[in-house]
Amino acid sequence: MELIWNSLPRLFDGALLTIEITAVSVALGLLAAVPLALLRLSHNPFLRLPVYAYIFYFRGTPFIVQLFLIYYGSGQFRDTLESAGLWIFFREAYFCAILALTLNTAAYTAEIFRGAIQGVPFGEIEAARACGMSRGLLYRRIILPKALRLALPAYSNEVVFLLQTTSIVSIIALLDLTGVARVIIARSFEPYKLFLAAAVIYLVMTYGVLYVFKKVEFWLSGHLRERPDDSVKAVVVR
Amino acid sequence: MAEVATRPSVAEPALVCEDVHKSFGALEVLKGVSLTASEGDVIAMLGSSGSGKSTFLRCINLLETPDSGRISVGGELIRMTKTKSGRTIPADQDQVDRIRSRLGMVFQQFNLWSHMTVLQNVSEAPIHVLKVPKAEALERAKAMLNKVGLDDKLDYYPSHLSGGQQQRAAIARALAMEPDVLLFDEPTSALDPELVGEVMRVIRQLAEEGRTMIVVTHEMGFAREVSSHVVFLHLGRVEEEGPPREVFGNQESERFRQFLASNL
Repeated sequence: MELIWNSLPRLFDGALLTIEITAVSVALGLLAAVPLALLRLSHNPFLRLPVYAYIFYFRGTPFIVQLFLIYYGSGQFRDTLESAGLWIFFREAYFCAILALTLNTAAYTAEIFRGAIQGVPFGEIEAARACGMSRGLLYRRIILPKALRLALPAYSNEVVFLLQTTSIVSIIALLDLTGVARVIIARSFEPYKLFLAAAVIYLVMTYGVLYVFKKVEFWLSGHLRERPDDSVKAVVVR
Repeated sequence: MAEVATRPSVAEPALVCEDVHKSFGALEVLKGVSLTASEGDVIAMLGSSGSGKSTFLRCINLLETPDSGRISVGGELIRMTKTKSGRTIPADQDQVDRIRSRLGMVFQQFNLWSHMTVLQNVSEAPIHVLKVPKAEALERAKAMLNKVGLDDKLDYYPSHLSGGQQQRAAIARALAMEPDVLLFDEPTSALDPELVGEVMRVIRQLAEEGRTMIVVTHEMGFAREVSSHVVFLHLGRVEEEGPPREVFGNQESERFRQFLASNL
């Protein structure tokens, strides 16, 4: 017990890094996912197929392989990257972790959004067209807001998955929550206690993610809730 | 309808459709339908299922692209062009969007935007398509909802409303655009019988205000009493047309007689 107590400050530091890389990759991945989903739905094969291949690769390979290919694989192209001035990024484990996580979550999120966009009722799209909405306006005001609501439950899942996936970056020597736990275990030979402590902290963080999504879903789902008044009356009448 | 062409043109007719053809694959749904609506005309389009009446209505605002034919709204011809593969498409999508904003459409399935409240549904297009200032658009939306009897439901979402209320909200949404012509696509066909009346009353009231409307409907009472002109479509062609008294009185076409017999 004393070991856990003494390790807590370092575990919290690790948890902060976990939160940081999760937040940064979720934000960047979300920014990339919406245009990717639209390209994925394009009728033009030159736009659609490269995005399809990208999504297929990132969904079709394990994250650890993606991370190794970026972190260790970039060394193969060191000269090219140096001359392009990019080596200062790729030599950093932190940067490689963020890049791999972002590309990974963007691929999954793009697929979630693609499904949601296709799930927008066709009648609502026609009604927007019939009002004279241009394509851009139609997407901005009707399709994307509606798709966001449809995507939210699946997307909250993706963010939770990503939070757990970040534990893999400890393998390239980042001191995230799992990384810190592993370092302490290497010195104390107490894997059980430390992984249990890490698990509890992961649970708390996951709860935080779920709580935020619950709030956002509530805020966006007025149309799924009880009607504003007379809901009580309605029950009585029936 | 021949007299329309020879009538001295005081103003452009609100809507002119000439020789509209439309096929879905091998099925020719419209085999050359023409229609002219002058300002204030209330045209009831009748016909059994599959006669092409809904398709024709959807061709007017290009929700379906006609294969051939000419459509003008307020004297402005919708320009069409052909792709390399021979498909007909609008030549200028901006023109189509602009003309659509002048044609109000009411759908059989209401098609309200489910993530917006009733008030947002009605003010959405005026704000973002017509660029009406928000405060003014909201005032106008409230006035329209008041007109259709939904002024106490502004903050309700469509899923909180009955079918009849949803359709009245959809009518308010169309009215808020201050359209030159209103298009109704079987506005009461998806409603329970006891809800038809509240929607028909609103449509009647609009007709009496002198609005130009094309109404695809199975409501014979409306066609007979309210419309200024009846068009009966059968298998993609206009089989009967004229003022309701003549059309219902003479019933020259055997098919129209059959249709009436099965619809009264």
